[in-house]
Amino acid sequence: MDNTNRMNFDMNKEKKRFLLFLVVGIVLLFITFCLSLIAGRYKMSLNQLVNAIFTSDASFDTERSVIMLLRLPRSISAILVGAALSVSGLIYQELFQNKLVSPDLLGVSSGAGFGAALAIILGASMLYVGLIAFVFGLLTVALTLGIAKLFSKNTALILLLSGVVVSGFMSSALSMVKFFADQETTLAQITFWLMGSFEYAKMEDLKLLFPLIFIGTTTLVVLRNRINVIALGREDAKASGVSYDVYKYILIVISTLLTAISISFYGVISWIGLVIPHIVRLAVGRQTQFTIPITIVFGGIFMLLADIICRAFTASEIPISAITGLIGTPIFIAILFLKKQVVKLDD
Amino acid sequence: MINLKNIKFKYKNNAYDVINDVTLNIKKNTINVLLGLNACGKTTLLKIMNGLLKPQHGVVEIDGENIISMSHVERAKKMSFVLQRQNIASDFTVFNYLAIGYTNSLKFYEQPTSSQKEKVVAIAEEFGIGNLLNRLLDELSGGQLQMVSICKALIQDSEIILLDEPTSALDMRNQNKVLSTLKRIAEETNKTIIITTHNPNHALYLKANVVIMNKGKIINEGNSEKLITKETLTEIYGNDICYSNELDYNEVSFK
Repeated sequence: MDNTNRMNFDMNKEKKRFLLFLVVGIVLLFITFCLSLIAGRYKMSLNQLVNAIFTSDASFDTERSVIMLLRLPRSISAILVGAALSVSGLIYQELFQNKLVSPDLLGVSSGAGFGAALAIILGASMLYVGLIAFVFGLLTVALTLGIAKLFSKNTALILLLSGVVVSGFMSSALSMVKFFADQETTLAQITFWLMGSFEYAKMEDLKLLFPLIFIGTTTLVVLRNRINVIALGREDAKASGVSYDVYKYILIVISTLLTAISISFYGVISWIGLVIPHIVRLAVGRQTQFTIPITIVFGGIFMLLADIICRAFTASEIPISAITGLIGTPIFIAILFLKKQVVKLDD
Repeated sequence: MINLKNIKFKYKNNAYDVINDVTLNIKKNTINVLLGLNACGKTTLLKIMNGLLKPQHGVVEIDGENIISMSHVERAKKMSFVLQRQNIASDFTVFNYLAIGYTNSLKFYEQPTSSQKEKVVAIAEEFGIGNLLNRLLDELSGGQLQMVSICKALIQDSEIILLDEPTSALDMRNQNKVLSTLKRIAEETNKTIIITTHNPNHALYLKANVVIMNKGKIINEGNSEKLITKETLTEIYGNDICYSNELDYNEVSFK
């Protein structure tokens, strides 16, 4: 019995699986990216895309403009935001040892939503709406952490409950702002912002978005082995030689910043932070050494696909959260069902 | 090796000291049992030794160095800790869980190397749990989980192993398996082992140095065969203690 199992044990099995999914993921990301550049209300063929990018032929100027001014920044933004929100979700789930946690747990989304709505009714420009949303997102998280600190037992559960309370408060404050908003103009704008969109993505955005998300996600990739130990919980992590409390705050700050930056640029985008980590764990297992890089790639693909659907099939743009929710829910149910099957097979 | 000097510890919002002026010296290459009733402060003392809890008064020194001034990595190199509750992160495979034992030798950006992974497999096989490597932690029985946790402590390769009630949730066969494993580790390696238990028979079986605790204080300390007498046990457990030495080792039971 022992010998058979010993012979069957392949310590590199998970790594091989990870490399396979990484290669497949990168290829899929590239294909989706190309698709994203040609999909939209202005119809374009693959041939036109290649000519517009790789030649200076003036007959493709219109295509070139559409790609460079609209679709390229939009597609890159979608990949970055998809990666940022998904990996934040994964980190929160590992940190709080709860698979139902997503980035907005500590109140980032509700805080940012309130901030944006307030800025919109005060007549601020889009730049300030994003900035105020970002500041309120961070302030809300600070409030959540502050309330949790007041309790003598500052456990993960207290932090979760504190997040629920603060989010609830911010949602009520948001309702008040919406109540005072002008139904014809600002209310529609607030509602649209609360459902997220890449419609107004510009090359300018990437100057800030790219370095911040790149630094944040790269740090998480570098720390991937330590995050695995953190996922064991406070005492086990400390006894294994990891400064749990230091890493906990580093991870909360990075994940919150990644989420707040994404929201402040393109509004609230739901579901992705919950669904993608689950898909990834089903594919490559539990180890964060493997799940973090794959989540970044798969998050990008998912967001690109959702954005393509938002703009390619209807005359006017569909808000992105509507699509991520509509795709995310059945996928999530399918994952739960698949997990049940896996357990049955193992039995 | 481990010196505890005048340790006092109180949990926040608690009126009394859970550990009340404890001074203790644990010698190298010995097997030690902290014995006492539930809530007498055994686990708290173990956590203080490991630096997981910081006492309000007193010092813990490992080879002359204050534990509080040591980093987590330095502590983990000196000591491994087998926690009582191991029911978290249950979707880790046994192999991946064991590999975490190497964390103290890795920098924050490093992954376990291939040779470390091979060593995990070799140690697990030698330890008799090679057949469990593919399994998830939550598929294991209590006894298997305890053996896996002890094996992880061996992989961590520290001089001291602390175990918090390693037999508390186990049936008699598994209790025996865990205790005989600890006895073997103590005999074959030069590790210092400290376990907590509320069962005096475990201390007798291990022929351990016994530290008897009651209400946060050490009431007696010494060799198990000399120390575990009817008088000392009556002081802890009450009058209905029954003590027999008909077996190959003494046994304590209730009337």
